[in-house]
Amino acid sequence: MKLTRREFIKTNAIAATAAAAGITIPGANTAMATAAQSMDEIRWDKAPCRFCGTGCSVLVGTKDGRVVATQGDPDAPVNRGLNCIKGYFLSKIMYGKDRLTKPLLRMSNGKYDKEGEFTEISWDQAFDVMAEKWKAAIKKDLDRNKGKPPEEITSSVGMFGSGQWTVWEGYAASKLFKAGFRSNNLDPNARHCMASAVGAFIRGFGSDEPMGCYDDLEHADVFVLWGSNMAEMHPILWSRLTDTRLTKKGCEVHVLSTFEHRCFELGDNNMVFTPQTDLAILNYIANYIIQNKAYNQEFIDKHVNFTKTPTDIGYGLRPEHPLEKQAANAGKGKLSKISFEEYAKSVEPYTLEYASELSGVPEDQLERLAKVYADPDKKVTSFWTMGFNQHTRGVWVNGLTYNVHLLMGKISEPGNSPFSLTGQPSACGTAREVGTFAHRLPADLVVKKKAHRDYAEQVWKLPEGTIPGKVGYHAVLQNRMLKDGKLNAYWVMCNNNMQAAANMNEETWPGYRNPDNFIVVSDPYPTVTAQAADLILPTAMWTEKEGAYGNAERRTQFWRQQVKAPGEAKSDVWQLVEFSKRFKAEEVWPEELLAKKPEYRGKTLYEILYTNGQVDKYAKQKVTDGAGNVYDNDEMDDFGFYLQKGLFEEYRIFGTQGPKKGHDLGEFDVYHQARGLRWPVVDGKETLWRYREGYDPFVKAGEDVRFYGFDDGRANIITAPYEAPAETPDKEFDLWLSTGRVLEHWHSGSMTRRVPELYRAFPDAVIYMHEDDAKARGLRRGLPARVVSRRGEMVARVETRGRNRVPKGLIFVPWFDASCLINKVTLDATDPLSKETDYKKCAVKVVKA
Amino acid sequence: MNISGVLVRSRPENIKAVTARLEDMEGVEVHGANPDGRLVVTVEESGDRTMADTVVRMQDLPGVISASMIYHQYEEEPDLEETLR
Repeated sequence: MKLTRREFIKTNAIAATAAAAGITIPGANTAMATAAQSMDEIRWDKAPCRFCGTGCSVLVGTKDGRVVATQGDPDAPVNRGLNCIKGYFLSKIMYGKDRLTKPLLRMSNGKYDKEGEFTEISWDQAFDVMAEKWKAAIKKDLDRNKGKPPEEITSSVGMFGSGQWTVWEGYAASKLFKAGFRSNNLDPNARHCMASAVGAFIRGFGSDEPMGCYDDLEHADVFVLWGSNMAEMHPILWSRLTDTRLTKKGCEVHVLSTFEHRCFELGDNNMVFTPQTDLAILNYIANYIIQNKAYNQEFIDKHVNFTKTPTDIGYGLRPEHPLEKQAANAGKGKLSKISFEEYAKSVEPYTLEYASELSGVPEDQLERLAKVYADPDKKVTSFWTMGFNQHTRGVWVNGLTYNVHLLMGKISEPGNSPFSLTGQPSACGTAREVGTFAHRLPADLVVKKKAHRDYAEQVWKLPEGTIPGKVGYHAVLQNRMLKDGKLNAYWVMCNNNMQAAANMNEETWPGYRNPDNFIVVSDPYPTVTAQAADLILPTAMWTEKEGAYGNAERRTQFWRQQVKAPGEAKSDVWQLVEFSKRFKAEEVWPEELLAKKPEYRGKTLYEILYTNGQVDKYAKQKVTDGAGNVYDNDEMDDFGFYLQKGLFEEYRIFGTQGPKKGHDLGEFDVYHQARGLRWPVVDGKETLWRYREGYDPFVKAGEDVRFYGFDDGRANIITAPYEAPAETPDKEFDLWLSTGRVLEHWHSGSMTRRVPELYRAFPDAVIYMHEDDAKARGLRRGLPARVVSRRGEMVARVETRGRNRVPKGLIFVPWFDASCLINKVTLDATDPLSKETDYKKCAVKVVKA
Repeated sequence: MNISGVLVRSRPENIKAVTARLEDMEGVEVHGANPDGRLVVTVEESGDRTMADTVVRMQDLPGVISASMIYHQYEEEPDLEETLR
């Protein structure tokens, strides 16, 4: 048989796809054998995808020092050879035409000038200027903090980090800021996406991150999607869910959202609800379970405490905002114990009629939903993402879902799984597990607890009292403090917060351009944020360095450096560690601290934090794979030791020996072999379901279930009512605005908009709007319109068709587009408990442009 | 020339309708279907439509639940009609 090249390629494509579809197509396999030959010049190695929190593994093809191809990794348990459209174009994200290759400083007449033009400088010059600004700020801090105990120390230096940092980058940053600079003003962009999930895990279970894993996608009988458009945002998990729905008898999918999206195509019970009423719907389900005595009495007797949380807690706005002044318990969240009867009474008002009236969802649909949760024979997995997390009652609404699962005992076992999905590749692995939040330390430790600080100081070989005990500025507060001039030396790394943070006009921009402040932005590209900086540092990205990410199912995955970064671009970990060489202990620590460790006198932070006998323990070596291919490690070459391994092995101590059990990670080298492992990893074995005997090594024989995050081994059911959102449409601002993502682009689009194919597929943001709403405003599909709020405005074209069908009274605008910034319009109202912004609800009007 | 293999999912009862809609698209062929709703589809880039465009538009078709790329190969134009053994 003769084949043209075109037929040959096509036959390969058919054969691979047929295998994934579970069928054979005659003749399709003939060409496969020669496929390998045409690829023999390409070196293939695994790496987790750079984009979302799913954590797909891809095979990265490298030829002549350049990544030329990527394909789904057939050996990966997460994605089983599949890839979404973004994943297919991963090879192109590093090769945008405007990659930054030299540090750039705003200068006039050869000197730094905040109003000057960006000018190329050397790394040495860049760190000189930066260190000068840092030292000036720290000197002020030392004077102000003189004689104060760690609990009262404040700082005017800070950093905004990332859920896209590799594990060791987050860890190196945490050490440099929390210990080196004695500043807890370190927060990740994960604050915008995961903080509410974290808050609910800690309050409910005393330990962060999901109990289940992606295997639930095959074990569940029923899936419920709460504010999660998996079809576009987590396409690979969606394809696994779809397979289960289409192949398992009786399987059903319930979808809840404030507008119709792609998931409705598969949904068996599709519900569009009025924003914020998810609180009422969940309480109705709990009430239904109680009224019908469907709850699992044995489970709640043995494993659950009933509690309540303070109500009327405000909206996390500036304290002088009228809404904060009105709130009776602004920011409060201390739980108090109640009885089962009191809990039952608290949800009693949430009848079917009331929930339906408030939410706008027909009664029969709500009841159908309640019934699947209440059916002891149906295994239910609930998925949620930003619809729950970006919510002024985000911690509450996450918790209300746990309430329902806990009442039924539908938790911590295959298929029964309340499952919080993540949006960033290492929101879990880095931001949460390493603890790069203003209040956290590694492995679920917190800065507020002296015992936890003591432990961290002991691991890090630091004098007692080095780490401040006061919680630092969180993401939203950082912008406010920049504007108010209290945060003066600020480093933004691996994120695009000018575009991402809400209320850009009133808070973010004035903060960055405040003359009292020096803003450094590290990025591979000239993002909106980079352009607002005073100093831009060019960054090596993804496979230009060795890395590790942790996905939403607790899976830690490593990759090797595949190629060199362009020009003088350097990895985040290099930047952090190299910068530490600029500081002597005397310049950052007071005398009383040095007196406790006199051997640190005259030493640099580099010596104290990174060549401390632990981090520099592993000598320079050749990095190879099983096939004998040799890989670069530029940081190892520069520092002279295996930096990534040393940082990881020191970090690992927190999980294996620290005060909070169940956070064990495996040894460094193991992860370079495996397709990731789900923690806790004990004796080399991963954990699929936490807290359940037989699956979790920390639950003893006979205990059945133990929520060991708390000493009594019980989880908290936490009652919380429906409360109104911070802003509701009124006469003038008469529409709800919800923001979010689209399939083709990831977050602020700084990578995906530089891939020509993805850019062309969805070039500009649009305003998804109901046709009647458009007509009433003299608008129609394709016309430009202004979206206006009390805070700002933007212009985009109206879209009344397409993949998202919004109800009357609501518009949806994606935020990926740097040329029309929706965050000029959004409100910086946050969940007062988690400090996460609600990007899903504010009031706007739409008028002709 | 870009050629991709794409796994498209629909409800079993929609296989016929979805197949017809897919085959109406330029450069798209359906090669078979698992009765459970999984369709084997190839996309050839052609004219002014990029492959990404087509795959994304595919996802927006009525009845399509998801479309996952399984295979993708890019080749320079001139070699394509060369006969292989």
